[in-house]
Amino acid sequence: MTERGSDRLREQFEREALVHLDSVFCFARSLTRDETAAEDLTQDTFLKAWDHWRQYTPGTNCRAWLFTICRNLRTRQAERDKRIELADTAELDSLASAALHAALAEPDRDGGFLDMPEFGDALKHALARLPEEYREAVVLADVHDQGYPDIARILGVPLGTVKSRLFRGRRLLQESLLAFAKDAGIVAGGA
Amino acid sequence: MIDCQDVMKRLWEYLDGELPDEDVAKLREHVAICGRCSPQYRFQIAFLGLVARAAAAQGPRPEFRRRLIAALGSASPPAA
Repeated sequence: MTERGSDRLREQFEREALVHLDSVFCFARSLTRDETAAEDLTQDTFLKAWDHWRQYTPGTNCRAWLFTICRNLRTRQAERDKRIELADTAELDSLASAALHAALAEPDRDGGFLDMPEFGDALKHALARLPEEYREAVVLADVHDQGYPDIARILGVPLGTVKSRLFRGRRLLQESLLAFAKDAGIVAGGA
Repeated sequence: MIDCQDVMKRLWEYLDGELPDEDVAKLREHVAICGRCSPQYRFQIAFLGLVARAAAAQGPRPEFRRRLIAALGSASPPAA
């Protein structure tokens, strides 16, 4: 390849891929829960993305492509727990969330109290404790605005599994918030 | 017609923009007039906002950014 051709590719890579460094690092950190491991995973992701840059179709969802590489690398790195795949429980989790709402939203039915800073900290801790399969679905949907079909491709699972994992993850987060709110005396039922 | 149970089941899909077009209008109409579902709807919006804020993308350390760019600079061009 000519030097000029290589420079053009590098410019294109910087413009389309490297601009997503913060997002990829954030996703890597949500997978590893460790800053140093997240940096290593992010670096491996971008080096691999560069190596396979010709396979990327310019103008498509580059962030989702990077998330896919990142997630595949992570899967290979870690021997994952083999969890029993959930059946179609998405609807059940939605309904359970509605029931939770009744308890959690006791002080303010619209959830305005969720703006309190302590809920932000409580949620960060709850997210870190969430099993990885739920955490990655929640982070992709709710932090990085990826749609269900893109998440399905990134995680390599069917659409129904995306919904199951996402809704279960959200419900578990709400349960954690409810426990926090009870302990803090914000809603009734605490110790 | 769509009832409260259906709304509760499909609210997250609606908020995620993943509900089929034909169901979007039905759910929106129901939520607008239902005293039980509209607080649930606003609560879920507040909850999703909290998740997005709490886990917002924070970049890596500046040293890491420099290290990555240097590593990319010394990497071979992409395979043909």
